[in-house]
Amino acid sequence: MVLEKVVEILRNYKDEQDLEVTMDSTFEELELDSLDTVELVMEIEEAFDTSIEMDGEIKTIGDVVTLIEKAIA
Amino acid sequence: MIKTPLCDLLNIEFPILQGGMAWISDAQLAAAVSNAGGLGLISSMNADENWLRNEIQKAKSLTDKPFGVNVMLMNPHVDKIAQVLIDEKVPVVTTGAGNPGKFMKLWIEAGIKVIPVVPSTGLARFSERAGATAVIAEGGESGGHVGEMSTMPLIPQVCDAVSIPVIAAGGIGDGRGIAAALMLGAVGVQLGTRFLVAHETNIHENYKDKIIKAKDIDTTLSGRSLGHPVRSLKTTFSKDFIKAENDPNTPPEVLEEYGRGALRIAAQEGDSQKGCFMAGQIAGMIKEKQSVKEIILTLTQETETVLKGGLQWVK
Repeated sequence: MVLEKVVEILRNYKDEQDLEVTMDSTFEELELDSLDTVELVMEIEEAFDTSIEMDGEIKTIGDVVTLIEKAIA
Repeated sequence: MIKTPLCDLLNIEFPILQGGMAWISDAQLAAAVSNAGGLGLISSMNADENWLRNEIQKAKSLTDKPFGVNVMLMNPHVDKIAQVLIDEKVPVVTTGAGNPGKFMKLWIEAGIKVIPVVPSTGLARFSERAGATAVIAEGGESGGHVGEMSTMPLIPQVCDAVSIPVIAAGGIGDGRGIAAALMLGAVGVQLGTRFLVAHETNIHENYKDKIIKAKDIDTTLSGRSLGHPVRSLKTTFSKDFIKAENDPNTPPEVLEEYGRGALRIAAQEGDSQKGCFMAGQIAGMIKEKQSVKEIILTLTQETETVLKGGLQWVK
């Protein structure tokens, strides 16, 4: 559920509707730098109407999905 | 007299911050800037907590005005540094090279005003949400580690993105630049390069002379391939570094090692073969060595003249 929504946001952000994204995809592999990561995490937070702690390392899409799942549980 | 809401917020006379420059911004420079009515900053660079505590105490002995500390978040001692700032009741902390999220709550609870340096609207919004007092939006015209955006487009977009005060940095060298930054929506400015040539700045005289000699086109970017581009004066070092960087056979570790310590060598030894003389694009505007007090007075007087003169175009 969460992953699907996150993938949709990512595809819109990159404007690539056939972008392949899995839990293991890293932001780096998706050619997203640290500034993109901040933008995206905030967009994802807004979409789920929640906020996640960004003090740890966020490397993969799975990291974000897990944090969101925890936040909305 | 130039007064903005930033003056009351930080308890300073003029809305001018002196950038936290590694190996350059020490207690002496920070105290001189604060004594002259701006906000001086000590750079914690890669130093440990004991060095920083000493510098803070030294600055306190040199000024009774507020000053701040710039924290480089990639510093390996950053956890202990974060605590020293609280113990020493430093009123203002600016942050660079990373995400200050981890320390924001701690510092804010201790009454510290946190002002992250941001290169984009996203990080500005993120900082605001985390409780930042203000942000310093820095364009890539600045010296040292730079972002992609330049100051002219960055400042108004950051001002639109957040409701906290915005301080402009990057490419500001005189009163015209300060006036422009205020017109773009900033309520304060941060200058680094201009203070390099101050009498109170403890760097090798060669460094100051190079800044005075520099023309508009004399800075360059290196380290792009490492993901953290640095703006510095064109020297033998920077030319060799860029050559090595453009050679696909140079491993990134070798480049990192090559660059390590290069700023210290520039600041302390003034050696242009091995030193990296970080400087912003306004270096070409700097024509004389002055005291910090003279620099700040000149800046504020110029700003006043320029802002008053602006009305001539309104018919």
